[in-house]
Amino acid sequence: MTGNVVRSRLDGVQTSALIAGGAGVALCIFGALADTRQFFISYLFGYLFWLGLALGCLVLLMIHHLTGGRWGFPLRRFFEAAIMTLPLMALLFLPLFFGLRELYPWSRPEVVAASALLRQRHFYMNGPAFVMRAAVFFALLVWTARTLNKWSFLQDDTADPAPTRRLRTLSGPGIALYPFLATFAYVDWILSLETDWYSTMFVVLIIIGQILTALAFCIVLLAWLRSEEPYSRVVTTTNFHHLGSLLLAFVMMWAYMAFGQLLIIWSGNLPAEISWYLHRIAGGWKWVISLIAIFHFFLPFFLLLSRDIKRRVAALATVAAVIFFAHLADVFWLISPSFYRTGFSIHWMDAAAPAAVGGLWIAAFSARLKSRPLLVSNDPRQKDLPPDEH
Amino acid sequence: MRTGLYGLVAEFERHEDLLKAAREACRAGYRRMDAFAPFPVQGLPEALGRKRSRMPALFLAGGILGGTGAYFMEWYANVVSYPLNIGGRPFHSWPSFIPITFELTVLGAALAGFFSCLALNGLPRLHHPIFGVPGFERASVDRFFLCIETADPKFHPVGTRRFLETLHPFRIAEAQA
Repeated sequence: MTGNVVRSRLDGVQTSALIAGGAGVALCIFGALADTRQFFISYLFGYLFWLGLALGCLVLLMIHHLTGGRWGFPLRRFFEAAIMTLPLMALLFLPLFFGLRELYPWSRPEVVAASALLRQRHFYMNGPAFVMRAAVFFALLVWTARTLNKWSFLQDDTADPAPTRRLRTLSGPGIALYPFLATFAYVDWILSLETDWYSTMFVVLIIIGQILTALAFCIVLLAWLRSEEPYSRVVTTTNFHHLGSLLLAFVMMWAYMAFGQLLIIWSGNLPAEISWYLHRIAGGWKWVISLIAIFHFFLPFFLLLSRDIKRRVAALATVAAVIFFAHLADVFWLISPSFYRTGFSIHWMDAAAPAAVGGLWIAAFSARLKSRPLLVSNDPRQKDLPPDEH
Repeated sequence: MRTGLYGLVAEFERHEDLLKAAREACRAGYRRMDAFAPFPVQGLPEALGRKRSRMPALFLAGGILGGTGAYFMEWYANVVSYPLNIGGRPFHSWPSFIPITFELTVLGAALAGFFSCLALNGLPRLHHPIFGVPGFERASVDRFFLCIETADPKFHPVGTRRFLETLHPFRIAEAQA
């Protein structure tokens, strides 16, 4: 069986991730007893960052089933392993049900009683409805993830085009269904943290951020494994060049969405909308968003313009890693200022919670990735590709 | 108008032969040459010994010029030349300047790219000596051509023809300037 080096490396990753995750979980349990409110704030941030990584992989996988293309074949098993963490992520969502009162103004009766707006929204924004929408979201996406995996492994063993056709048939509606589901989910999970605020662009921004992070993660992983069998046989410099171009496209798209939302709200300058941004530039927060602007957009954008950087694998992987961590800061900036509206605040649990969820996520991801063949075979579109220059 | 020989043209029936011929010619030291094919042949520019294209740098320069020009124009108009109170905002309101800056960055890059593409290709021009080569119209159908120009320092009317013969072309023709 090829890929022994890759598998033993993944073994190592899995062990360290489990240790980090276990330590994170222990710290979180301690933290939850010491400061329950802060625990839920940190946990929401850490959880949504890693969930976004899995969901971004889901979108990329469906895009690749629909479009094909050389860029995606070495990454297909990464995407498939990532979406198989969704059952685990559904399980890790459960603690949040106990924190609704700490997190969301609409779940505190005294706040709802005092606000006409929240009273009108109460039929939609209430505990049972929140739980039900989350259940539907996870049920549909877990089913999609399992089905995409099942057919993809059927495809490996047969020359019959039926599994390929079915993968495509599911990916088309899937890619339309996901933003629809995500709209309901992220309105509940992030947007409703502040009573007055709404933005129709917000969920699109979230989705693009997820795809960008997922792509950055997969580029780093592929760069790390590229010189080992079986990746060394198929992955070329041109492959990384194409992935770098795709990364640049998503960096620009993220900036376009993020700035578009800011420009519209800034131009309107209405109290209900602009307050969200005012909380997010108050005090030290404006330094956080300045750093995000630099490391989430300007630096990667200008570096990725260069052909040489896209073709130098170590440089490309570094840029991708920078984007990955900049997005971690971005998710923090989307959530935490709702609770600390006057200025920057960070708690040790803001590190422990992402470590806890992330450790478990990476362990599940590695376990899944190494248990299956590391490359896809029998995709009919793989055979028709023209020979690649190195 | 100049008269005389412009270059020697070898005609091939398969793109692999053209690619091989271009590599051989490059190895033999020829640089002032060009290849013609009905479709983009992967690796042909490198086989001809072409260095990296200057186009990306020109696009970048056009984009930077367009973007900084746009931002300066907006800043000058709104802060220096004709300050106007719009909704109580500061005169130098950067968010409102970004869309125009973005658009003119794209416009600057596109115009720079379009015109430098024409200029670097030597366009517009009405005629090129290569069109006088018999059967050259098949370069856009099913034949592949390699032209070594007389302007090449290594060019020799007899020696170069002999060299081209070693590549086993379908035929060799002269392009008259």
